[in-house]
Amino acid sequence: MKRSALLSLLLALVLAFGVFGLAGCAAEEPAEEPATEEPAGEEPAAELPAGVQEIADSGKLRVGVKADVPNFGLQDAATGEFEGMEIDLAYALAERMGLSRDDVVFEAVTAKTRGPLLDNGQLDVVIATFTIKPERLEQWNFTDPYYQDEVGLLVKKSAGIESLADLDGKVIGVAQGATSRDAVQVEADKLGIKVEFLEFATYPEINAALESGRVDAFSVDKSILSGYLTDDSVILPDGFSPQDYGVASKLGTDELRDFINEMLAEMQENGDMDELLAKWNLG
Amino acid sequence: MTELFERIGFLQQGPFSVPRWEALFANIDLLWQGALVTLLVASLGLALALALGTLFGVMSSSHWKIARGFSRAYVEFYQNTPLLIQVFMIFNALPILFTGMFIPVIAIGVLGVGMYHGAYIAEVVRAGIQSIGRGQLEAALSQGFGYIGAMRYIIIPQAMRVVLPPLTNQAVSLIKNTSVLAVIAGGDLMYAGDAFAGRFGHYGPTYIVVGLLYFVMCFPLARLARKLESRAKEA
Amino acid sequence: MDAFLNSPVAEMLSDPVLYIGLGNGLLLTLEVAAISIVLSSLFGTVIGAMRYSGFPVISQVATTYIEVIRNLPQILLILVSYFVLGLPGKWAAVIGLTIYTTAIIAEVIRGGLNSVPVGQWEAARSQGFSFLQSMWYIVLPPAVVKMIPPIVSQFVTVIKDSSFAMVIGAGELMFKGQILAGKYWRPSQIITIYVIISLTYFAINFAISTVARRLQKKLSVGRGSIGN
Repeated sequence: MKRSALLSLLLALVLAFGVFGLAGCAAEEPAEEPATEEPAGEEPAAELPAGVQEIADSGKLRVGVKADVPNFGLQDAATGEFEGMEIDLAYALAERMGLSRDDVVFEAVTAKTRGPLLDNGQLDVVIATFTIKPERLEQWNFTDPYYQDEVGLLVKKSAGIESLADLDGKVIGVAQGATSRDAVQVEADKLGIKVEFLEFATYPEINAALESGRVDAFSVDKSILSGYLTDDSVILPDGFSPQDYGVASKLGTDELRDFINEMLAEMQENGDMDELLAKWNLG
Repeated sequence: MTELFERIGFLQQGPFSVPRWEALFANIDLLWQGALVTLLVASLGLALALALGTLFGVMSSSHWKIARGFSRAYVEFYQNTPLLIQVFMIFNALPILFTGMFIPVIAIGVLGVGMYHGAYIAEVVRAGIQSIGRGQLEAALSQGFGYIGAMRYIIIPQAMRVVLPPLTNQAVSLIKNTSVLAVIAGGDLMYAGDAFAGRFGHYGPTYIVVGLLYFVMCFPLARLARKLESRAKEA
Repeated sequence: MDAFLNSPVAEMLSDPVLYIGLGNGLLLTLEVAAISIVLSSLFGTVIGAMRYSGFPVISQVATTYIEVIRNLPQILLILVSYFVLGLPGKWAAVIGLTIYTTAIIAEVIRGGLNSVPVGQWEAARSQGFSFLQSMWYIVLPPAVVKMIPPIVSQFVTVIKDSSFAMVIGAGELMFKGQILAGKYWRPSQIITIYVIISLTYFAINFAISTVARRLQKKLSVGRGSIGN
C-alpha cells in the first residue's frame, strides 16, 4: 500500500510538472517568434514592422478593454457592443495596421485579468485604463501615456465624509490588481491615518459593498468611479497619485509598442486626440 | 543546480519563474494566516452544520407533517441555491435590510457553509435514520422509551455508523467551500492567495501552494471517509 | 399600490435591460453547465474505465487524478484554468468545472458498478451471456439506476458552482447580477436582484431534481431490490 502511494505521488508530480511546463511553454512561445523572425528578402517592402505585420496577417486584432467604465470602455448590457475612448483607440490602431474595424475582437478585462491575458498570448494589446508603473514595466510593454487620471474616493453623501482624513479607521474597498491600494496607503501614511482595505475581484462588487456599508469608500481611478456615481454618492475632491494610462502589450513586443507610440504621437499633434477626448467628455 | 534552472527557459520568465517563487515564499506568512482562518471557519461551520443537520434530519423523520414540511423547505432551499449567492445576501443585503447589521466576514463564512451543508447533512441523517428498520423504533417504544429517548439511545447510535462515511465527505466539501470567502474579502486561504497573486501577477506558484494546502487539509479526511465506507460495508 | 408602481423597484422591473442582462447570464450559466456535464460524463467514464483496467499504472494514474482533484476547491480550479492555462472566460469556467466533475463522475461510476453484486456477473456469464451482453442487459441497468441520483445531484451542483465564474468576470448569471446592481444601485433594487437570481437558480435546480426523482422512481419500480 505504501509503495504504490509513493509511486502515484511521484507520478502526479511528474504529470503536474508536465502540465505546468506546457503552460509555461505556451506562455513563452509568442514572445520567441518576433525575435527569431528575419525580414525575408523576397517579400515586398513591408509597410509594417515584423511584429506588427504578424498581427495584421492574422486578420484579427485582439484587444482587452474594460466593460464597466463609462467613456473609456463600457459594454452595453443588452447588445454586448463596446463603446468608449479606448475602444476608439483600438479601432484607430486596427485601421493603421491595414485591418478594418470589424477585425477588432474585444475581450472584457478587469484589473486582475488584463496582465495574465497578455502573458499567455490571448490578447495582442490591452487598452483598459492600465496605469504605467515602474514594477509593471518589468512585466509588460507600455506605450507613452494617452491619458492622465488620478486615484479618487467615492463615498456615500450620508456618511458625511469630506476628505481622506475623515476615513481614519475606516474601510476602503479596492480592486485586486489595481494600483489604488498602494496609492491610498501612501497618502494615508502621509496624513498619519490608518485605513483598512478590502479587496474584491470586480468593480460591481466593490460598489455593492459601498451601498451596503461594508466599505466606507470605493477607491480607484476617478474615471472609473464616474461610472458608479449616483445621486447618493459623491467623489471626494481628493485626488492623488497621477495615473498615466498606456497601451500595454506583451513584454518584448517592442515593435508593436513603437508602432502604437507613433500613432499616439501623430494623434496628439494633429488634434485627433483632443477630438477623441472631447467626444467622450474627457480631458 | 541553479544553473540548470536558469537553462530551463520557462523557469526564468513566464508564470512559473523562479523570481515569482521567491516572492511567494518571502510572503508565505500571508498564506499561513489564510489557512488558519480557513481552518477556523471550517471547524465552526462544521459544528453548525452538524447541529442543523441533525436537527432537521430528525425533524424530517418525525410524525408531524409540519416538522417534515419545515425540514423539507430548509433542505430544498439550501440544496438548490448556490452558496455564493447565500453568502452575498448575508454580506450585502442584510446590512441594507436591517440597517447597519454588519456580520463579521468570518461569521458569514461560518453561517454560510454551516447552513448550506446543514441541508446536505440533514439528508444524510434522514437516510441514516430510515435505514434502521421501523421495527427498532417500535421495539424501543414498546419498552417504554419516549420518542426522543428511543431516538437518542437506540436509533441514532446505529444510524451513526451508516452516516459517518457520507458525513466525512460532507466535511471535506465544507472545507473546500470555505473558499467562497475569497469573494467577499474574507481573509481565508483562497482570498489570501488570490489577493497576493493579484497584486503582482504571481499566479502560478501561488495557486500551486494554495492547492497543496487545501489538499493537505482535505486528504486525511477523504482517506478516513473511504476507510469508514469499507468498514460500514463489511458490517 | 401606487407607491409600489412608482418605486425604484418597479422602475427596475419594467426595464427590459434587466431581463435581457439576466437572461443572457442565465443562458451562459446553462451553457457552461451543460457543456461541463457532457464533457465530464465522457472523461469521467474514461477515467472510471481506467480504474478498472488491468494495468496497474493506468489504474493508479486515474486514482491519483481523482484523489488529488477531489480535494481542491472549485474556485481554485476555475482560477487556474483562467490565469494559468489561459483559457478565455467561458471556457475557463467550463474546463475548471469539468476537471472537478470528471473526478466525481468517475467515482459515481465506480460506486454504481460496485453496487451490483458479483453474483449477478457470474450468473449472467454462466447463462451464456458474453461480456458485452452481461454488461448491457444485466449489470448496467441497475447500476445506472443507482447512479442517477448522484449524477443529477452533481449536475445541480455544477449549475450552482458555475456562479464561481463570477470572479473571472465571465458573464454568467451571478456576474450579470452584479453588473446590473451597479446600474440599479438602490438598496431595494439590489436586494430584488439578489432575490430574483436566487429564485432563478432555485427554480431550475428544483425542477431538475424533481424530474430526476420521478424518473428514478419509475425506473426502480418492478426491479425488486438488487443491491439495496
